[in-house]
Amino acid sequence: MAEPAPLVVYVIDDDASIRDSLALMLGLGGYATRLFADAESFLVAFDPGWSGCVVADLRLPGMSGVGLQSRVRSRGSTIPFVIITAHGDVPAARAAFRAQAVDFIEKPFDEAQLRAAIDTAFALEQHRIDTAELRRADLEKLARLTEREREVLDQAVKGLHAKEIAAVLGISSRTVEVHRTRIMEKLEVRNIAELVRFAVAAER
Amino acid sequence: MNVLRYLRDAAVFAPCYVLLDWVSYIHPLGAFNITPWNPQPALAIAWMLLGGLAHAPAVCATIALADGIIRGFPAGYAVTGLTALTLTTGYAGIAAVLRALLRPKPSLHSLRQLTLFVGVVAAGTVVVAVGFLGVLYGTDALEPGAALPGWLRFWVGDAVGVLVTAPLLLVAADADQRSSLCALARRGETYLQIGLVAATLWLIFAGLGGDPSHHFYLLFLPLIWIAIRSGMAGAIIAIAIVQVGVVIGIHHRSLQTLPTIELQALVAALTLTALYLGVMVEERERATESLKRSLRLVAAGEMAGAIAHEINQPLTALANYGRAGQMLLEAGRNAELAGVIGSMLAEAQRASEVVRRLRDLFRQGTTRLEPVPVAHLLEAARRAGTNGLTVAAERDLPDVLVDRLQIELVLRNLVANAAESVDGAEIAVSAARHDARHLRIVVSDNGPGISPAAAKTVFEPFVSGKPSGMGIGLAVSRAIAEAHGGTLEARAASHGEFHLVLPFQSHG
Repeated sequence: MAEPAPLVVYVIDDDASIRDSLALMLGLGGYATRLFADAESFLVAFDPGWSGCVVADLRLPGMSGVGLQSRVRSRGSTIPFVIITAHGDVPAARAAFRAQAVDFIEKPFDEAQLRAAIDTAFALEQHRIDTAELRRADLEKLARLTEREREVLDQAVKGLHAKEIAAVLGISSRTVEVHRTRIMEKLEVRNIAELVRFAVAAER
Repeated sequence: MNVLRYLRDAAVFAPCYVLLDWVSYIHPLGAFNITPWNPQPALAIAWMLLGGLAHAPAVCATIALADGIIRGFPAGYAVTGLTALTLTTGYAGIAAVLRALLRPKPSLHSLRQLTLFVGVVAAGTVVVAVGFLGVLYGTDALEPGAALPGWLRFWVGDAVGVLVTAPLLLVAADADQRSSLCALARRGETYLQIGLVAATLWLIFAGLGGDPSHHFYLLFLPLIWIAIRSGMAGAIIAIAIVQVGVVIGIHHRSLQTLPTIELQALVAALTLTALYLGVMVEERERATESLKRSLRLVAAGEMAGAIAHEINQPLTALANYGRAGQMLLEAGRNAELAGVIGSMLAEAQRASEVVRRLRDLFRQGTTRLEPVPVAHLLEAARRAGTNGLTVAAERDLPDVLVDRLQIELVLRNLVANAAESVDGAEIAVSAARHDARHLRIVVSDNGPGISPAAAKTVFEPFVSGKPSGMGIGLAVSRAIAEAHGGTLEARAASHGEFHLVLPFQSHG
């Protein structure tokens, strides 16, 4: 299994001092950071596989932080956004939350506030990554089944007994039971109930 | 009431009243003060309007005295006493009603106040004329056939006299208004206007010959000019001059019988026209002024927002560096602290510069003019724009004399507008000489542009194509440009184009 990509704080602010000071402070706090001066250069570098958190200023030259957020969403990434601003701008805050920003922080902010927002964002990312990881493992297990075993599993999930499955597939109920045991071994489940739960979760 | 003050006021009032009565005692009916021009009631009404009804006894005595001095008690002491009492009651009534209606201060500043004044004077003088003629008729001092024409003449004389003279007295009694009269007196145009009115009067009474009332309409032209240019104060002075001119004209041609009543009716029409025009001009000016004031307030609010943003940036960086310094200390990495402290000092410096500018803003009003290189302004515009923004400037442009922060605000506003006009806007900002003393900055985009009609309305506050605030932005931008002695215009074109004209720093 591949090592998961590290969580990074992507800082986008047109003010060089803000970028520099944030990088220093967050770096000392143990966060990995990458800095961008505007939305365009971030989008050029952006890869939907990135995970972590974007800390973007609301007013950026060209495209606003909230505008950038929707562009990133349209490229299929759910990376969490924290919007920071020197203007206590209510409509902008509303727009940011509608686009599912994790937090909307007014400058000047204190470190604890920003870290709390970043940590919330990271927790969201970690949860997303973990779920994705589990799902990927489940799908791998399913892929180990043979075609016949897949058919048996599909019928079992519908709640049919061995005899009924045998009738549907035109094989003996004994063979069905052999298949079912093999399936449970491959999927690492102990009983029929767990088997059904696994199959339903994996199909989702 | 202070007795001394009462006597002093009466000592000023009585001679003025007698003098006005004597001057205006022209074309009388019989031996009575039934003349087509009666300005002295205005004096009585104005005195009681401003000073209160306690002046009524002094007014009554003065009216009787004037009748004695000028006309030698034409129908005996009793009739003079009775008419003086009647007139005083009438004028006091008019003054009391006006006092109640024109609260808190008797003045003619609004359409409503003027209409009330005209209505009360017109109706009040009808009653006064009925009372006066009634007394004469009742005491058999007048032949019965003269009662109706006498009433008309008395009414017109009083009404015109009050309408023309009372506004003048009210203006003269008000310190603010007096200063606006003085301002008029300092203007060359005022003398040209007076000259034109005098010349028109001469034409009507002498130059053109014939019946003066046939050419009277000519006076409307200079009166309209004056009312539009100089408002209420100008209109009041002008109609006073016209009234004096008409009286002199009547005297001058006294050998012929002139239709004095008709002339006075024309003066009344002219007076009403000029007063209403004057009041409307003043109301419009007040509305424009209050709009300008609120725009200045909005501009100040926008400036405060811009400054808050500018001061928040270094503060944020300062806090970040400070926290980083703490963490370095905790980790024992003291050697790295020097760099962080250096950065903190630089940020503190940046913040203090903003504060200094803020202080200057409050100390020196809203604009702080300084020579600014054109390149600096264009750089600010470039920073506000996207990658699709190009900047061009003519060579060797002199510095402009502007408030850098405010003009940068205007440019950012224009660039932001252009950027929102179309997706992936290509914005061009160019600077060139407008004329010998002005720079022109053109901000254009490849958006759809605006129609000629919209070019006029985009600057009006609250007119905006967008739901949030840019309408105010453009109105404020124009207010800022004009406060610099420049202009900001939208050009109707197939693409968006705004022209900002700013003054160069003048040498010498």
